[in-house]
Parts: sequence; C-alpha cells; structure tokens
Amino acid sequence: MKYSLSQPSESLARKILNPVPFKDRFPAGRLKPPVGVLPGDVRSLPELHLFLEPDNASLPGINLKALPKWVEASIGDKELAESILAIVDTAANYVEGCVGVYEVVGYRLDQARGAIKETKV
Amino acid sequence: MTLYGYAGKILRLDMTNRKAIAIETEPYRRWGGGHGMGAALFWDFCKDKTITDGRNPANVCCVMTSPLCGTIVPSAGGRCEVVGVGVGQYPVSWFTRTNFGGRFSTMLKYAGWDGIVIEGKANSPVWVDIRDGQVIFHDAQDLWGKNTWSTQLEIRDLIKIRRGTKTHWQDIEALPLGESNASSGEDFGRTTQKPAILCIGRAGENQTCHAALIHDAGNGAGQGGLGAVWGSKNLKAISVLGTGGIKVHNPKALLRARMITKEKYVTSWQAPDFQAWTRIGRLPNPIIQAAPPTVERRPQSCQGCINGCRSRYNVGYGNESACQETFWYGPYARKVAKSRAEDTEINLRGADIVQKYGLNSFVLQPGLHWLEHLYEEGVLGPGRPIPSDLPWESIGTLDFAEKIVHALSTRTDIGADLADGWVQAALKWGREEDLHTGALQFSYWGVPEHGYDPRAELEWGYGSLMGDRDTNTHCFNYIFTNVSAAFAFGKPLRIQAEEMVKLHAKKMSPYAKDRPEVLDYSDANMYSEAVAQTVRWQQHYCRFYKNSALYCDLKWPDFVNTNVPDHEGATASPDAGEQVFWNAVTGDTLSFENGIEIGRRIWNLDNAIWVLQGRHRDMVHFAPYIYETVYNKGEVFPFFMWTCRDDKGRWHYKDLMGRSMDKAKLEEWKTIFYQLEGWDIKTGWPKRSTLEKMDMGFVADALEAAGRLGEEAS
Repeated sequence: MKYSLSQPSESLARKILNPVPFKDRFPAGRLKPPVGVLPGDVRSLPELHLFLEPDNASLPGINLKALPKWVEASIGDKELAESILAIVDTAANYVEGCVGVYEVVGYRLDQARGAIKETKV
Repeated sequence: MTLYGYAGKILRLDMTNRKAIAIETEPYRRWGGGHGMGAALFWDFCKDKTITDGRNPANVCCVMTSPLCGTIVPSAGGRCEVVGVGVGQYPVSWFTRTNFGGRFSTMLKYAGWDGIVIEGKANSPVWVDIRDGQVIFHDAQDLWGKNTWSTQLEIRDLIKIRRGTKTHWQDIEALPLGESNASSGEDFGRTTQKPAILCIGRAGENQTCHAALIHDAGNGAGQGGLGAVWGSKNLKAISVLGTGGIKVHNPKALLRARMITKEKYVTSWQAPDFQAWTRIGRLPNPIIQAAPPTVERRPQSCQGCINGCRSRYNVGYGNESACQETFWYGPYARKVAKSRAEDTEINLRGADIVQKYGLNSFVLQPGLHWLEHLYEEGVLGPGRPIPSDLPWESIGTLDFAEKIVHALSTRTDIGADLADGWVQAALKWGREEDLHTGALQFSYWGVPEHGYDPRAELEWGYGSLMGDRDTNTHCFNYIFTNVSAAFAFGKPLRIQAEEMVKLHAKKMSPYAKDRPEVLDYSDANMYSEAVAQTVRWQQHYCRFYKNSALYCDLKWPDFVNTNVPDHEGATASPDAGEQVFWNAVTGDTLSFENGIEIGRRIWNLDNAIWVLQGRHRDMVHFAPYIYETVYNKGEVFPFFMWTCRDDKGRWHYKDLMGRSMDKAKLEEWKTIFYQLEGWDIKTGWPKRSTLEKMDMGFVADALEAAGRLGEEAS
C-alpha cells in the first residue's frame, strides 16, 4: 500500500466528503495563459481532488504549505494533513507536490466512500 | 490611384434616416486602419465628444478593418476593431475599443468596404444587409429577442444561403430581399460563402454594460460594452457578403515573408517543440481553459491565422469558444461536477450560454466571486439587503449559469442594478468597502482585473490606467507564464533573465532600444522612467500594430523565439517583422519605428478624446485595494516570476507577489509618464507643441476651444 492512512470512521468520512462553510474555504487559483491567474477557492476534498487533477493546459494555484493546516482544522483529518505535509516537504518541485497531493487525496476519498458504503451495508 | 491593401471606401450608416453613404478611405490613410482610422472617423463624425455614456445617440461606433485583413499575413488577416464611447465604466465610460476575429473583416473588405461608421439611432430595430456595394436596411422586429446564434441562422435563411455541404455557387444579386434600385452600380459577383454576420443578443438589446458583439459561434468583441451601443441604436445585426478581392502591392514579398515565418520562426510539424518560448511560432492549439471535451475535433481559426486557437468538437458544444469564456464558470462548476468530463461540459456549455446572450463573460470572473461572497455573507439573496431570487444555493450548475446570465442580460433580478456598471452597483448597494478590501477586484475604470495583477505586472496595470479600460494586451506577460511554469515544473529555463531582457530591449525601439532595465519590475524600479518607457512602447506599438494593422494580440509581438538559434523573435525583424508584411501589402516603405510613431499619433488622438470627455490626471488611479492590500503571496498561485535586477545589477527571475502599490509614488510615476508623452503634468492634457509635431494641430484647436489644452510651460 502506498499510503499508511488508517480507515476513517463514518463521521470522519462524512467530513471528508462534505463541503466546509464558506468562511472556511481555501483559496485556489489557476494559471492558464493567456488569461492569467484566475481566482477561486475550494470547499471540500472532492473539489480539491478535481481541482488538482493534472491537465496539459493549465496549472492549479494553491498554497501547498498552508494546505495541511486547512485539512486538519477545517476538514478535521489530521492523518491526511500529515501525509500531505510529508509529500509537500519532499516534493522536488511545485507540480510534483500538486500531483502527490492529488493522489493522496484521491486515495483518502476512496477510503471515505468505502467507509460510508460499509456503514450503509 | 490604387490603395493597395485597402478596399477604398468606408460605409457610413445613418441609422436615424436609414441611409447608407459611401466615403473615400484615402483621407484616413494616414491613420493606417482599424483603431487609428476608427478614432479619426469618430473625431470627424461624432458631433458631441463630451458624452460619457455610449448609449447616447450622439455616439459613433466604427467597425474597422485593416489593409492586412483578407490577406495571408500570419495572424493578422482576420481581426476586426470596433471603437466608440463605451458603457458601464467608472467614473466615466471612455472612448474605447474592442476587437474580434473570424471572417467578418475579411468579408467586409471583399464587399468593398474598409469599415463601417454607425451614427444616430433607428426608431425601431433594424438589421443591415451588405452585399458588395448594395446596402439595405431591413426591419428586425422578428429578430429582436433572439439569441446571437439564432439571429445569424435566421438571417442566412432570410437570404436563402444554404447551410453546410449544400453550399454552391450563388449569384448574390439574385438572393432574396435585395433592392435592385439600391445598387451602387457595380457588378455583383458569385460566391460559395455564407455571409459574415456581426450581431447582438439580449444583453445588447437591453443595453447592459457588458454586452458583446458576436460573430459566428464564438468570436466576441466583449470589452467596452459596445454591444449595448448597438442596442441603443436599435441595430441588431450587420450581415456582409462580398465577392471581391484585395490588391496586394507585392505578392511575392508577402509570400516570401509568410514562408520565412513558417520555416524559420514556427516550430516544425515533423518534430514539434510543444514548450517553445515564442508567440507566433507555436502549433495550432485550442486555448480553452477547461480540459478538451474530446480528441475528435478540428482546429478552427480566424481567417489567415498561422496557428489557430479554437476548435470545433464532435460533442456539439463549446465550438469556437476560446480563452476566458471557457472558464468563467470554472471555480463553481467544479463544486458540483463529479468528474473532469462533467466539469468540462459545464464550462463549455457555460461558454455557449454567454455567446448566445452576447454577454462579455470577463465581468463574471471576479464579479461572480464577489456576488457569491455577498450571498455567503448573508447580504445578497431572497429577503436580504440586496434582494435576489436567483437560486444561489445551486451555483455551479448549468441551471444557475443560465439564470445569472439571463438576469444580467435582461436587467432582471440583480441585473437591474448591475446593468449600468458593477462599481456603480457596489456603491448603490453600500458596498464601497469591497473596493478597499479587494472583495470586488475591479482594478481600473470600473472593469475587472484581468488575471495579471497590477501590483505585479506593471505594464498591464499602468497601461490600463493610462488607457481606457483593462488593456488586455499580452505583449509581455508570457514572461510571467513561461518562467513561472518552468519554476513550477522544476524545468530548466529556456532563456535566462539577462538574455530575456536583452532580446526584448533589442526590439523596443525607439524608446527603450538596448535598455534592458525597462523590464526590471523590482520594487526599486517599479516607479521609474524606465518602466514608463515600457508602458509607452506597449501603448504605441499596440495602437498601430495590434489595434490598427490588426496583428493578433495573442501572436504578436514575437520578441523571443526558441525555435530560432539566436532566440531572436520575428518582431521587427527584416525578414518577417510586422513592417515587412505591412509594406508588402500596402506598398509603403514603413520602418518598424515608423509604425510605433503612427501608434503614438493614434494614442494621442485617443487621449485628446478622453480629455474632451472630461479626463484629468486626478481621475487616473487604481481601485483602492491596489494600494491598501498586498497581492497575497501564494494565495492564487505560488509565485509571479518576472525579470528583476538585484542590488548588484545582476538579472534574476524574481517573485513579485506580496507587494502593494504606493499611491504617492504612483503619482510621481504619472508625472514622469506625462512628461515623456509631452502632456501637461498638472492635468495630463496634451500640449499644442506635442500635437503639432505630429501634424495634429486640428486636435489642439479643438482642445483649446474646449478650454482643455495642456499648458506649454508645464
């Protein structure tokens, strides 16, 4: 297994999958020539995951250093925050950091969806 | 005398009396074409140049081509410039400009016209049907209320132009709705083409401030609100069908320069360099902001373009849209999209919505962000201080996109207040604080920040401030995008900072020739004479080469080019520079610097019109947040890299985020700029001596008569 994240509880899974209030949003811009830097924000991990999905035409604009704190304080997922911090600290460059975060967030979302599904069963 | 490159006539449309009048192009030849010619026509035919709202019947709107339109000059043959007093700016709607691509300008030239001057106001909706020299005003009651796509299809049906593969040779005189007695006496030809139609949608009909002019599916002239000007004149559409051609002075030289462009400056088709640092030298690629919806697509471009930037897709949506309109809804679409494919579909269908309503989506980029902020803060919404019954809880859905665009285009819901200007609405709603905090990022003249923050990208900010609106001029900002992307990926820089600035300075004649310090945007140099020279160069270059000769803003200038061994781009080059193409088409013997000088003349004419409209240097300032807040480091992108010198004079790429603009120092910079331009430093008004040196004494006379001529001693 690539990540050593424990299975989230049902309540944490719901936090992982649901949006946070507007006041807790996290700034997230996008660089796309020739328009420039487009402002925006994310309010959930599913949205963050979609936002960070790599494409050939643009770059996500996000403060990777501040992201772990947001994930811990606003989403409430300390484990994921620590994983993100480790990825960002060891990434060779910004894009590598974004891709790493994209992958770990995707893994966490799968875990959360699985947890909700198991509860329903 | 043959006017090579020109059609030779300009069409005046007297909307009030529904009359068409042909005038000679020749007296306006000195202004080049496009913007320059349009500004000169505005000067001659607008009888009240003090108007500050483009919806005033006295306003004159000029739709202008250039000598290069309809030719094979790379990325210059298909642009069209529109000028006139705009709508919805703050505190004044200036004489302004907008521009679109496609095939309208080409068709207009083939019909025998270098431009159209729209004057007065019809008493009911009309559309204008131009077929070579024949011009007919038609009643447009049945078109009024239709979207821009339906309007164009309906006009094609009305004149029985067959669609798609059914096209065949048609004698245009035999098409229905013609008036045999309205003929100019010229022979009519035959064509396989469909007419080129420029029209407005509901945003224009309702005279809302960000109304655009739309041509074909996705060519929009959005900035300035000229769509509202057409609406105020009851002009729904202009349709053009031409069967003529353009006389090129030296076709051999034109072909040679075009081939040199392809073989020397453009990346090889066989071994393409997709990461090349160049503007003219890339391969065709859609510049949509979302992921492409499918790989099954065809490239689409303006006529004559060397590297088209749009696509048509087999999925049937997003066709011909490019750039910002394909992402105006992006930050919201991703809140509801379950996948990248759905995200793309919402974004591109959102583009279709604004195209059909004829609304400039740029206002929504920071504007919707602000409205969402007001909703989430409990200020805007049902039963709230700013009442709105739009379904704000479903922002991100296509349903909401349609409803917000409908409201803005029809003056309903919050659209009633926003129709006359967003900053005006903010003040009406008691939200002045948002201009100070940056919650409403409308940086200059009441229009949105573009994506290149003035606190970092100086020539963009200063150029917008000294001009009439968001400058939307992409001469230099690939420095930021290319270098920042290289840093983001950790890739080697294709061109180091010192080489970068030297290559630029080599081509920035006459003001900044071999002065690389003009691109030093460090804190120590940001208010300098050197940076003022960059702003001057850009404004003068653009006023002629981009806005008048109509070289595409996204492809020119080509300062640096990694497809070429010495990295020297095509701009100003003796083999394929802008002036080479101009001379080949027109027969002129223009030097690159001559073109800059014509641009200076046009820029001065613009400034004279602004002065007559009431401009004074005291009005020339950014929105308060530019001074009162910093460009937040890392908040929307981790860095904003630009060329800077350190305290030892060494060149580096440096991050410019984290700073604000100093208002007092900006005032000093304005004084420097006015001095360089030969304008009165107390008022910003042109001086007679400056104008007379450019053979513009008639402008000085008008300013003097209005009591608004700059003082010589200043």
